Amino acid sequence: MNSYVPILVLGALSLGFAVVSIGAGALTGPKRYNRAKLDAYECGIEPTPQPVGGGRFPVKYYLTAMLFIIFDIEIVFLYPWAVHFDALGIFGLVEMVLFIVTLLAAYAYVWRRGGLEWD
Amino acid sequence: MSALSVSATFAAAEFQTPSIEYSKLMPMLIVFGVALVGVLIEAFMGRTGRHQVQLILSIAGLVAAFVSVTMLAGDNQIAAVGAVAVDGPALFLQGTILLLAIPGVLTMAERSLDRGGVFTSAGSSTPGSEHERVLTATGVTQTEVFPLTMFAVGGMLLFPAANDLLTMFVALEVLSLPLYLLCGLARRRRLLSQEASLKYFLLGAFSSAFFLYGIALLYGYSGTVRLSGIAEAVSSNSGSDTLLMTGTALLAVGLLFKVGAAPFHSWTPDVYQGAPTPITGFMAACTKVAAFGALLRVLYVGLGGLAWQWEPVMWGVAILTMVVGSVVALTQTDVKRMLAYSSIAHAGFILTGLVATDTVDPDTGAVLGVSSVLFYLLAYGFITIGAFAVVTLVRDAGGEATHLSQWAGLARRSPLVAAVFTLFLAAFAGIPLTSGFTGKFAVFSAAIAGDAAPLVVIGVVMSAVAAFFYFRVVVLMFFNAPAPDGPAVAVPSPLTTVAITLSVAVTVLLGVWPTQVLDLADRASQFVR
Amino acid sequence: MTVVEVMFALLGVIAVGSAILVVTTQHLVHAALWLVVTLGSVAGCYLLLSAEFVAWVQVLIYIGAVVVLLLFGLMLTRAPIGQSDDLDSPLGQRIAAAVTAASAGAVLVASVVTSFRGERIDLSDDRVAGSTGDVGAAVFRSWVLPFEVLSLLLLAALIGAIVLSRRDVSAGPAGARMGVVDEFGEIAEADGVVR
Repeated sequence: MNSYVPILVLGALSLGFAVVSIGAGALTGPKRYNRAKLDAYECGIEPTPQPVGGGRFPVKYYLTAMLFIIFDIEIVFLYPWAVHFDALGIFGLVEMVLFIVTLLAAYAYVWRRGGLEWD
Repeated sequence: MSALSVSATFAAAEFQTPSIEYSKLMPMLIVFGVALVGVLIEAFMGRTGRHQVQLILSIAGLVAAFVSVTMLAGDNQIAAVGAVAVDGPALFLQGTILLLAIPGVLTMAERSLDRGGVFTSAGSSTPGSEHERVLTATGVTQTEVFPLTMFAVGGMLLFPAANDLLTMFVALEVLSLPLYLLCGLARRRRLLSQEASLKYFLLGAFSSAFFLYGIALLYGYSGTVRLSGIAEAVSSNSGSDTLLMTGTALLAVGLLFKVGAAPFHSWTPDVYQGAPTPITGFMAACTKVAAFGALLRVLYVGLGGLAWQWEPVMWGVAILTMVVGSVVALTQTDVKRMLAYSSIAHAGFILTGLVATDTVDPDTGAVLGVSSVLFYLLAYGFITIGAFAVVTLVRDAGGEATHLSQWAGLARRSPLVAAVFTLFLAAFAGIPLTSGFTGKFAVFSAAIAGDAAPLVVIGVVMSAVAAFFYFRVVVLMFFNAPAPDGPAVAVPSPLTTVAITLSVAVTVLLGVWPTQVLDLADRASQFVR
Repeated sequence: MTVVEVMFALLGVIAVGSAILVVTTQHLVHAALWLVVTLGSVAGCYLLLSAEFVAWVQVLIYIGAVVVLLLFGLMLTRAPIGQSDDLDSPLGQRIAAAVTAASAGAVLVASVVTSFRGERIDLSDDRVAGSTGDVGAAVFRSWVLPFEVLSLLLLAALIGAIVLSRRDVSAGPAGARMGVVDEFGEIAEADGVVR
C-alpha cells in the first residue's frame, strides 16, 4: 500500500494546483466576455455547428469504441502474462499466441471490411 | 477460511505446465476452428460464392464435430485442468446440439424464399428508410451469420460440459452473444426483430448478472468454483448455509432464464416472434438443450447433496412453467408466439423429469432423471426445428404469414405442408407413435419413480390443455375455408426441404422405434464427478 | 478502526451514493458521469483490499472504455443531452424498482454479513493473492481454457459490432470491387447525411 503514497501526494498536488489557479483566475482576472470567448472550446478551431435538432452522430463512433474495448481487454490479459512470463515459459507463450492470433482474425476482418477507415 | 487457502495456491512459486487434452476437446475445437476460418473467409473472399463456401464449411464442420463426438463416446473423465467434463451426458448433449445445428444451419442458408435470404445485410439501416428499401431490392446476402452461428454452437457445446462455474459462465456468454445479434437481423419486420434483439440482450445480460453473483456467493461458500469442490463442501457441511442457499438460488435463476422456465420466461414469446424464424428454431432447440445440460450438471454434480432443498423449488417451477406455458398458449393468435408458449410448457415437462434425482433403474443402472431428460431434449429439438422450418414456408407479399387466421384452409393449398405441420403438432402434444410421446413417457415415468406422482398428474392435465390448442390449429388448417387473399405455400430450395425431412424422419423414428436411442440415453446418464 | 478501514467505508459510501444518483438524476449525461464515480470508488475498494490488478482493470476497462461506449451510445441515439423529464418513469414503476432494488440489496447484504461476520483477513499477509503475477499464474494454471474461449468471445463481439453497425455494404477494399453494391453505397451516403 505504501507504494501508493507518492501517487496520492502527486494527486493532491495537482488538485491543489488546479484549484488555486482556477480560483486565482476567477478572483483576480477581469471579466469581459465576447462571442469567441463564450463559444465552446475546440482547441482554438472554430466550433463545428451542430445540425439542427441535435443531429445523429455516424455509427462509426460506436465501431471505434467497440474496437477500443476489445483490444483494451486484450492488453489487460497481456499484462499479467508479461509479469509472470518467466515462470510460464513456453506453455504461456503458446497460449498467449493462440489468444492473440484469434484476435488477429478479428483485426483482419475489421481491416478488410473498412472498419479502420473513417470515410 | 477455505477461500484463502485456495488463493494461497495462486502464489505458489513453482509453475507446473498444465496439460490440456486436445483430443478430448475435439468437437469444440473443430466448431471454433470452423468459426475462425469463417471469419477469415468473410475478410478475404469476394462476395460471389461466399455463401456456398460458408454453408459447405459450416455443415462439414458440424458433421466432423459430430463424428469426433461419436469417437469420444464412452469416455468418462475430466479434461483441460478440470474445466471440461467429458462424460455421457456431455457427449450425448453435444451430439444432440450438433445434429440439431445441421438442419438449423440449412434453414438459415435458405435463399429462395426471400431474395438474398432471411437476414438483412445492414442491421443498422433504419426500418422504413430508403436505404432499407434499396437493400431489400438488391437482395444482398448476409454471410456473417455462418461464423456467428458456429460461435454460438461452440458455446453450446462447452456449456453442458463445463465442470466449473467460471468456464460455464464464459460458455454462456459465448453462446448468448451471437444469438442476441442474430435475433436482430431479420430482413422483414425489422422493428419487431430489433425489439426482440434488444429485449433478449437486456434480459439476458440481467440473468447473466444473477448467474455471476450466484457464482461469487458459491465461491464464498466453498472457496472454489469447481463443481466437485462445491459438492465436497456441501457434503462436509462446511461454510455458511445462507451463502449456499442464496448462491444456489441466484445460479438457478440464470440457468432457468436460458431454459425459458416460468417465472423467467417473459422474454420467450417476444424474442421467438421477432427473431428471424430459422434463428428462432435453432435457438429454441439448441439453447434449450445446452441450458438443460448445464442445469443438470450443476444440480446433480455440484449441488446433488442439496437435492432435498432444491427439489421442492424445482417442483414449483415445473408446475408453474407447465401451467403458464399451456394456458397462455390458448390465447395466442400468432403461430410463432404459440410455439414459443409451447416451448415454455415443454421446459416444464422436462423439469418434471429432472426432479427424479437418485432414481436408478435397477436393470440398466441408468439415472432416470438424466436419461429421460436427455431423450426428451433430442426429441423436442427436432420437432421444434421442423415446426419453425414449416412456418417459414407459409408466406404472403409481406413475408411470413404468421397470424393464425391466415393459416385457415392451408391443407387445400398444400396438403403436404399441412400434414407435416400436423405431425409436428401431434408430436408436441405427445400423441403415440411420435417422438413427443416417447419423450413424455420417459420423463413422466422417471418422475413417478422419483415419487413425484402429483407432478405427473399436473403434467398430464397440462398436456391435455396443450393438445387442445395444437388441434385447434390442425382443425383450422384442414376444415376451415381458406381466405381468398390468404398466403401461399412457397416451394423452398432443397436446403429447407432436407431440414424438414430430417426432422420428420427423427420425429417418426423416435416415436416408432425409440429403443436404440433410449438405451443410448440410459448408458449416457452417468456424470463424471 | 485503522486508516484503511476508514477509507474503505468512505469509498463504500461514495460508491453507493453515486450509484443512487446514477439512477435518479434527470440528466442522461450526468448519469454516465456519476457511473464513473461509482466505478472509480469500487476500484478504490479493490485497491484497499490489495487486489491491485483488478483495481486497475476496473479503471482501464470500466471507466476507460465502457463509460466511453455509454457516452457514444448517447451521441448515437439522439438521446437528450440536457435535463429531461422523459427519464422519469411512472411513479408505480419507480416504487416497484426501488422495492426490488432494496430487497435484492437487503438479501445479498444479509447473506454476506451473516456468513462473514467477524471474519478478518490480514492484508499484509503475502498469501493473500491479488497482485498481477498471481493473476497471471492463476489464469495460465487453472483457467487456460476459459481464457482461450474468451478470445473467441471477443472475436464474436467484434464481428457482431461490425455486422450491426455496417450501413454501407460497399465500404472497404473487398466491397469496392462489387458492382452492384457501389450504386447504393451512394444512396447510403445520402441517407446518412439526411439523418
